[in-house]
Amino acid sequence: MISVNGVSKSFDGKRQVTALEQIDLQVARGEMVSIVGASGSGKSTLLNLIGGLDRPSAGEIRIDGQNIAKLSDDDLTRLRRDKIGFIFQFFNLLPSLSCMENVALPLHLKGMPKQKTTARARELLDLVQLGHRLDHLPDELSGGERQRVAIARALAFYPPILLADEPTGNLDSHTGAEILKLIRDLHERLGATVLIVTHDSGVAGSCPRMVTLRDGRVAGDVRR
Amino acid sequence: MILLRLISWPYARKHLVRWVLTIGGIVLGVALLVGMYTANQSVLEAFNRTVEHIAGKTQVQVSAGDGGFAEEVLERVQSDPDVRAAAPVIEQVVDSGFKGQGKLLILAVDMTGDRSLRDYDLEGGDEDVMDDPLVFLAQPDSLILTRDFAARNGLASGSKLAMKTMEGDKQFTVRGILRSGGMTSAFGGNLAIMDIYAAQKFFGMGRRFDRIDIGLKDGVTLEQGQASLRKLLGPGFEVEAPSGRGQHFESLMSVYSMTMNIASLFALFIGTFIIYNSFAIAVTQRRAEIGILRALGATRGQIRSLFLGESVVAGLAGSAVGIGFGLLMAQGLTASTNKFMESVMGVSANADHMLVRPWLLVTAAAVGVITSMVAAFLPARNAARVDPVKALQKGQYQVLSAGENRRRRTAALAAIAIAAGCILFGRSTVAFYSGYFLAMLAMLLLTPALSLWLSKLLRAPLKWVRPVEGALAADSLIQSPRRTSATVAALMLSLALVIALGGMARASYMEIADWMDGTMNPDFFVTTSETISARTYHFPDSMLDGLRRIPGIAEVQPVRIVRINFRGKPVMLVAIDSLSIARRTRGRRATAGDFDGMYRAAAEQRGLIIADNLAQLEKLKLGETLEIGAPSGILRLPIAGILQDFSNQLGTIFIDRALYRRLWKDDAIDVFRIYLAPGAVAADVKARILDGFVHERRIFVLSNKEVRSYVFKVTDQWFGMTYLQLFVAVLVAILGIVNTLTVSITDRRRELGVLRAVGGLRNQIRHTIWMEALAIGIIGLTLGVAAGAVNLYYMLTVSRQNFAGIALDYTFPFGIVGVLVPVILGAAFGSALFPAESAVRSSLVEALEYE
Repeated sequence: MISVNGVSKSFDGKRQVTALEQIDLQVARGEMVSIVGASGSGKSTLLNLIGGLDRPSAGEIRIDGQNIAKLSDDDLTRLRRDKIGFIFQFFNLLPSLSCMENVALPLHLKGMPKQKTTARARELLDLVQLGHRLDHLPDELSGGERQRVAIARALAFYPPILLADEPTGNLDSHTGAEILKLIRDLHERLGATVLIVTHDSGVAGSCPRMVTLRDGRVAGDVRR
Repeated sequence: MILLRLISWPYARKHLVRWVLTIGGIVLGVALLVGMYTANQSVLEAFNRTVEHIAGKTQVQVSAGDGGFAEEVLERVQSDPDVRAAAPVIEQVVDSGFKGQGKLLILAVDMTGDRSLRDYDLEGGDEDVMDDPLVFLAQPDSLILTRDFAARNGLASGSKLAMKTMEGDKQFTVRGILRSGGMTSAFGGNLAIMDIYAAQKFFGMGRRFDRIDIGLKDGVTLEQGQASLRKLLGPGFEVEAPSGRGQHFESLMSVYSMTMNIASLFALFIGTFIIYNSFAIAVTQRRAEIGILRALGATRGQIRSLFLGESVVAGLAGSAVGIGFGLLMAQGLTASTNKFMESVMGVSANADHMLVRPWLLVTAAAVGVITSMVAAFLPARNAARVDPVKALQKGQYQVLSAGENRRRRTAALAAIAIAAGCILFGRSTVAFYSGYFLAMLAMLLLTPALSLWLSKLLRAPLKWVRPVEGALAADSLIQSPRRTSATVAALMLSLALVIALGGMARASYMEIADWMDGTMNPDFFVTTSETISARTYHFPDSMLDGLRRIPGIAEVQPVRIVRINFRGKPVMLVAIDSLSIARRTRGRRATAGDFDGMYRAAAEQRGLIIADNLAQLEKLKLGETLEIGAPSGILRLPIAGILQDFSNQLGTIFIDRALYRRLWKDDAIDVFRIYLAPGAVAADVKARILDGFVHERRIFVLSNKEVRSYVFKVTDQWFGMTYLQLFVAVLVAILGIVNTLTVSITDRRRELGVLRAVGGLRNQIRHTIWMEALAIGIIGLTLGVAAGAVNLYYMLTVSRQNFAGIALDYTFPFGIVGVLVPVILGAAFGSALFPAESAVRSSLVEALEYE
């Protein structure tokens, strides 16, 4: 499903900083993988590259056999929209849109008819148990609820890949545990491939596979 | 200073484009201020320099308006015991005849006596010319040129020079060359000396002089000399030091320069809003930074000083660039001011170099810095009030609180009520201007609430056009009313000015067309030059009968036009054949008085007629008696009627020509208005007029169409300044939109990043930003049109009461709004292109991490 081959990423500034160096990683369809490592080890950079938010300096990343480095910006956006769902630490909901509108955003962007969009958004919010908060603005929700809306938005097209960057990092432990349970539940019910970047050993330990990064290299890859 | 370097400089460097846009308003305002003032001063200084250099040892000058006076006045002046020397002078400005050399100032003097006042330092071999008065008397075609002019045009003693005279093109002979120095730098060196009696002949002056230059006897003070001459000559003469002529020139120019000053002030005013907007956004964006500084021990005063310090730097940078641009602009403006003064006011200065005054540059820089500081004051105060704990948390800082909105609405309603009271009950100028100020203040206070309301109103149609992009664009405006409202306010003010000026221009055009229909209805205008405003040459009275005898001509109306000093201002005096004019101009609008009655009174020399702009400016009423100084005594007559008239910006007085001839002892004619007999063929009559006179004098026969198009051309020239203001207004509007969008993109980087992360294509992002810009344009247009409608009312009143005195009807300029809609929406769209590209090309990862 996800194939990372010899990927390196460096950032040019006053000094060149290498964030990732010669990463090789294969993730099969339906796997749930946690990526752990210290701050600056390159976890988020790797997730951004797999999600097509950024491009590698060297190497290739294939999603379903397609080399995403060769895609144009718009093709990469379409791939992201149809095949990848993002869950961010700070939720990244649009504050001016209601829960329904936030979840429906990717559907609108694809040009889905309004009726279908509304029905799908409602279905997704039900899925994350927020069917009663359809017209609420993000400001009117708790942290956990906001993350649920973000998860519902990430599932807009029921993408085969779900990428989560510190999904519980901005939540208290109880809410964090609930969100993790929801992600795991969705993984089981929908069969999506899930990659979670985390600092939290509890979150990492709950995934069947754990990849450890150190100084931009894969330092461990453990399957349980 | 350390904080400026450590904190402000990195931020400014990171947002360089925004800072450039922010100081744009200051650059424009300062550039206009420096450019216009420098151009005005250069022209004024050139005029004064010419006056001063030509004056020589002259202490006092006697004149009687630009119509001059009879020769015998010279003897009276010479009889004054305080007068040491008195020399008559005629000054005329003619085409030099050399390509690219512009105008030539002819200084016509009496060679026998003039050297007691002026030094004529001629080149070797030419001195005899001055010593032998017969040279000029016997050879009236003689000229003395300056070294500079002669050298530039390859002329030397003995060279021939063609010049247009009242007797047609004439060959003149150069009899001497003046060495450089003294008077030779007058009029940019384009100076020629001629015998005064030859000038009378060649310029159709009759036996008249323009003025008499006087040197007083030793021991006689200027005041004593002036008093003695005033007593001797009476009130019809102006007895002034040469510098007094500069004041007249300045007052003529002030009408022109006021328009430019308004444009400059306006640009600075709008610039204030742009700077305010940028600083307000910078404060909100840098809350975390301010919080950290406060947490580290920075006092409120230090935070306030930091932002005010930034505004000083922005003001200095804007002023420096503005001064540079201003000086560049001044070169072009000097030429156009020169041209304007020549063609519209009929006076020439021939400014050949720029006069840059250091104090102006210092003042301009100070104006730029103060404007910037005033604009940044409120944001700086808000920055100082930031709570360090809250600043380090994410907050909804942009949402305008309901309480704040309510307070503004209440203040706006109070301002509207008082402004309405001022219109209904206020009679004084103070009440009027207070009402004007409050009406505009109310519009400004209501801008945030109205833009918010309009943004909400626009959400549905925008969403209908593009469900996601439209909603996001509208939401961005709804969510950040402060960010939007400052730009909308700037745009609104720009458009309010554009609409008001456009409305005034349109009303003026309509009124001028109406006036011309009623007044300028002769079939031909016979003049001495290609235009009807130039009055270098004059026709003799004897020509009148000659014209009347030409077959095909039904009626000839002689008109004499001179500028006189009325209550210290240069006003136009027009001498007409009253009854004939009344018969032929029945369509003309009388503001006060009976149309036939006023002309009858004028014909019977029982009254005079004035233009309505003079009545407004000088607060004159029907029946009021005016006193006008004439060379042969005081003209004391009541106002028999007030007419709509656009001949002169400073006002016009009409009297019967018979009265003028009696009191001014001047029978010269500037224009003949010719009406054709029924059935006469215009071309044939024109040919007969030319055949009859062209061999003996300079004559032009202009058709009604030609004169009308000339008047509209002059009107266009006059409104050229208005178009400049329109340009400034649109430019400032564009600047404001680009600034807001740049700020908006920075502000919404995360939002746009999310949009791209969840599947927003580049075009969808672009559309969002374009729609936001268009929405700002629509809101600004809506409020601008409303404010413009109010502003037009006030500006028409200002124009009538204090500016040109012209009463114009209120007609809303729908045509201009029709032009503004695509221009502003186009400008808004154009302004959005760069910010939209920067949004789609920025790093997605950085955008998502952006705080």
